[in-house]
Amino acid sequence: MKKTGLWRGLTSLLCFILAISIILGNVLEANAGTIDTYLGTLSEEFVSENTPDDPLYDKFTPPAEFLNADGTGNSNALIAAAIDLGRREAAEGSVLLKNENGALPLGSGSSVTLLGIRSHKNLLGSSFGVKAQGPFISLEQALSKDKTDFANTMSWSVGSRGAPPGATVGTAWAGDEFGFEGAGFQLNQTMIDVYETLSQSEKYTHYENEPAAEVYDPGEPSIDEIEGVDPGFRSSFAQYGDAAIVVIARPSSESVDYLPGGVADGLDFEHGEPFSLTKNERDAIELAKECSDKVIVLISSSASVEIGSLKDDPEVDAIMWIGAPGCYGMLGVADLLCGRVSPSGGLFDIFTAYNMSAPAMQNMGKMYYANTEGTITRSGGVMSFTPGAYTIEAEGMYVGYRYYETRYYDCVAGTGKADSSAGTYASKGGWNYGDEVTYGFGYGLSYTTFDFDLQGEPKFEISTDPETGAPSAYATFSVKVTNTGSAAGKTPVQIYGQAPYTQGGVEKPAIQLLNFEKSGVLAPGASETVEVKVDLQFIASYDENYDNGDGTKGTYIMDPGDYYFAVGNGAHDALNHIMAAQGMDETKMVGQGSADQAYVKAIDESFISKTLFSVSKTGYKISNQLPYADWNYYQPGEVTYLSRADWEGTYPKSYTDMTLTSQELIDALNGKLYDLQTGDDTSDIKWGQDNGIKFYEMFGKEYDDPMWDRLLDQLTMEEAMYIFTFGGPSIPGAESIGTVETYMTENAGNGIAVNLNASKDPGAPWAIPASDPNGNWHPEVFANAPMGASTFNPELMYELGQFEGIESLFTGINILWGPGLNTHRHAYNGRNGEYYSEDPVLSGVAAMEFAIGALEYGLVAAPKHFAFNDQESERGGVSPWMTEQRAREVELRAYQIAFEASKYDTDDFDAGMRGLMTSFSKIGAIECTCSYGLMTEILANEWGFIGYAVTDIYDDTDLWTAVLNSGTTCFDTRGQSGFYKITTLENCSLFANQVQPYKLTSSLIEGDRALQLKLKDAAHKNIYSWTVSHLMNRYNSTTRIESRLPWWRALYKGVQIGSGVLAAACGAMYVVSSMKKKEGN
Amino acid sequence: MLKKLTTGGYLNVLAAVLGVVGAVLTIVSGTMSVDNQLSGLPMLAAAAFAGAALCVLAVWAPARFGNFDLVSSVSIWAAIAAYCYAFGGAVGQRIMMIAGLFSYNSGNTIGWNVFYVSVGAWACLLVGCLALVASGFLRTVKQEG
Repeated sequence: MKKTGLWRGLTSLLCFILAISIILGNVLEANAGTIDTYLGTLSEEFVSENTPDDPLYDKFTPPAEFLNADGTGNSNALIAAAIDLGRREAAEGSVLLKNENGALPLGSGSSVTLLGIRSHKNLLGSSFGVKAQGPFISLEQALSKDKTDFANTMSWSVGSRGAPPGATVGTAWAGDEFGFEGAGFQLNQTMIDVYETLSQSEKYTHYENEPAAEVYDPGEPSIDEIEGVDPGFRSSFAQYGDAAIVVIARPSSESVDYLPGGVADGLDFEHGEPFSLTKNERDAIELAKECSDKVIVLISSSASVEIGSLKDDPEVDAIMWIGAPGCYGMLGVADLLCGRVSPSGGLFDIFTAYNMSAPAMQNMGKMYYANTEGTITRSGGVMSFTPGAYTIEAEGMYVGYRYYETRYYDCVAGTGKADSSAGTYASKGGWNYGDEVTYGFGYGLSYTTFDFDLQGEPKFEISTDPETGAPSAYATFSVKVTNTGSAAGKTPVQIYGQAPYTQGGVEKPAIQLLNFEKSGVLAPGASETVEVKVDLQFIASYDENYDNGDGTKGTYIMDPGDYYFAVGNGAHDALNHIMAAQGMDETKMVGQGSADQAYVKAIDESFISKTLFSVSKTGYKISNQLPYADWNYYQPGEVTYLSRADWEGTYPKSYTDMTLTSQELIDALNGKLYDLQTGDDTSDIKWGQDNGIKFYEMFGKEYDDPMWDRLLDQLTMEEAMYIFTFGGPSIPGAESIGTVETYMTENAGNGIAVNLNASKDPGAPWAIPASDPNGNWHPEVFANAPMGASTFNPELMYELGQFEGIESLFTGINILWGPGLNTHRHAYNGRNGEYYSEDPVLSGVAAMEFAIGALEYGLVAAPKHFAFNDQESERGGVSPWMTEQRAREVELRAYQIAFEASKYDTDDFDAGMRGLMTSFSKIGAIECTCSYGLMTEILANEWGFIGYAVTDIYDDTDLWTAVLNSGTTCFDTRGQSGFYKITTLENCSLFANQVQPYKLTSSLIEGDRALQLKLKDAAHKNIYSWTVSHLMNRYNSTTRIESRLPWWRALYKGVQIGSGVLAAACGAMYVVSSMKKKEGN
Repeated sequence: MLKKLTTGGYLNVLAAVLGVVGAVLTIVSGTMSVDNQLSGLPMLAAAAFAGAALCVLAVWAPARFGNFDLVSSVSIWAAIAAYCYAFGGAVGQRIMMIAGLFSYNSGNTIGWNVFYVSVGAWACLLVGCLALVASGFLRTVKQEG
């Protein structure tokens, strides 16, 4: 090769390297915030100078127990506390369902055989959503060891079972190990070895975080396959036969559902459904019977598993639900198995014999309008969701236990054709509760027994605000709880209610949870009086047809009549007490009731007026806001909702082929929701004023402080548009008010999804340095949400929020995208693990306690997905159709409780959550993000919500004006950063395609008065939510952003410079060589 | 009049063809879904086509000015820059879509289609660049005598 060619070739090569490094650099810089999170680097540093006049980090601080003497963070103490909390959560949340012959607890030193591959490869979390991250404590370790082995026990996540892991969710652990008190059992190593061998095969590969699947296979090996590994395995049983513990698991995760009939071939599912047991799982239980006289089954799931046959099997001695217990929850399970702690959890959902028997199951999964093609012109958005998906929630009010218990009540009462065969699955003949239900909602056993004694009359406190008419109506029940057994234990105290129902009148469930508390640990014979305060609004009914007399319809009503209240071990027990008090036929009842545990109150106009609750706690008049939630609003008479007036005649059919004929409906589905105005007079709306106020000065200012108006007037309209358009994780700065671009938000409800050593606030005195041996600890370690719900312990729920708030101080995240707060519509929702329960009160209280606890440490919890995310199938834009009564009394009530947070209101302080994330789904025909009725009328006006209301990721970016108009305060724009320069309103591809004929520019709404006011309101709410967070710890007058040189930036810049210089040099040599060549010629 | 091409010349021809295919695929990927349009698509496509034209120039020039001539050399370097501009401009806009496909949005069938076409375009442009790099070391046409 000639020298000229060599220099030219090298120049070409270096040009190429230079170009690639420039591309790489641009990509890295445009996603710097996200890259920093994943690599644990710091590319832009948030810098503020700490001075006596402008002190930093004095507003929110971690408790002293997590700090070293010099104020630096103590990672060891933090992890130890997480282990303790995770343990207590599982110990209180696991639910003992059956315990015959005193099978549990097992004595310390018991020799035990673990069966089922899930006993060895535990299910701890979800593969998407609420993962259990990093090192964990396995069931085997919790039962038999006394020290963690984190270095060799790392959790993994997988996209689909049997596939190679998509990603490890933790890097190798080189940090501390921790001692613990295990159960002290001796475990059958033969079976552990067998399952370890089997789990090495692709067929039986399992990970700690697995997803649901539309075609499900639990991956349980057969006995033949066990014998194939060790033909003599049975011989080990004799030595380890004190008990046989079988673990059955059903995972939960984001983005996929189980589907009716969706089971893998050849596994012989008991009911042909994914929540029934396969032959191999049943055989594992049979094997347990061979092994021991004590057979214990642990159910690891976030939904009802069909275990009716196990309940009825006399050789199965004990059943305990253990959820997906997170990284350390197995210690709590071990505490229960060995009797160190007595179980005290109650079921988060009703467990039915056949989950398909829920009327909601008639309409779930993937259904599309028959004429979608050619009718729906709006595309599926940036996420490419499938247009035209819907689900008709024809079960109406009767979701979860509300259905089974109400139908049971009507069966006993002999009304509404409840005992017809409609909707029967397990019943022989007519519908029968005892056959259809395995374990009721709220039910749970203990190692001891409790007596509940209602102490006299409840204390009623009823008033209305003379100025606003806002009601305040509470009944406080005093319940004397006595431990009547021989073991110490605690118990939930659940108060249920029943409103008077008139045949054919407003739908009312026969029983509903009104509130709960939990006793302390009571020694045998000890008593405690527990007070449970019930908000009577939650026994009122939403009557959509009520004429308000002002031209509007629909509000909450209290029909005059007898209102029953009861304390019970779950909904069914409470209902039986009410039925006993009503003198109903005990021979027809399933279980026994005691009238002593019920209380009746005759309520008439003189006590509580029928329309007391027609005004919200904010003093806002309540009326129908979601008429478009009901299919019949657009196309009358096409959908029949389930009514207890006629169970047989209204039992839902499957609405599989709905056709769109209403033009109003079609227009709504096509996103024709807001017409941009161009000629409004906006001269009185101020932007870009110079009022001399900086953001950091707003700490502690009430939302309605006049100073806010002056601060907001400083914003330019463009800055406000950036704040609305780019809602995180990285949120734009606004020079006019002294804010800088900051990475503020992250998931998830079971821990902050940022490693300790990747803190977004590395300047905090307590920040864990990269050199810390525990720096790789990832705080997302707690159980799936149903475990928290099943504790029925508000204090523990609060403590979980507090701890996540503390985690957030160490990770520098001040807004949390969580917890999940949708209610479980049915067991098949793959994402039930991220949501607490089917009951709105249990869910709402859990979220409220969590959020208020988190806020104590400056973490704004933003529960998701507001609202109606009832299934993962076609979750992007699916239309759930329902009555407004259903929407308000079930779905929205959970959010209402959490957002109002009335429990924490004082005379001087209106408590509340300060964040939320909207749903991908619609409500009826309208996107939730665009629903003015949902986001402004109900959320803001009725409930008084003030705060950050972000869309789900990239959702409805094609409806920018409609989203702004609704009251949503910003878009989730994960990955976007470098605002005003790299990422602009004009160039961001997320917003390039708008349904309406306009392009997003900084001048888009110059002529639209309403949207400018909405923009100001959105900016106000967003910025206010920052001011109540620990973001304020690091803001003062000196705050600025300084660029740093993390390794990846140094690398690409080095390559750029090196290749550029060398390319120039080689190019010069090429020219010189060419000239010499020419001279030579 | 063109002289007989050597390996280097054929590599330039290959790079030109790949550039045209890459440009077409870039246009397809940027227009196949309204929600996944590429902003600045005309510039990206123009860069790829221009790169292809420069590759042709890099074939033609040595026949007139001799191997390793300045015109063909600059053409090669400029073509590399043009291809990388088209590739990089598209990659930057697809990063988050790809991240979603491999995690929370794996069911995005349209996204996967866009991804496949995009990968095809990027492969063409990158292989085209590599062909140009290789051709940079080599003669383009056979020397007479």
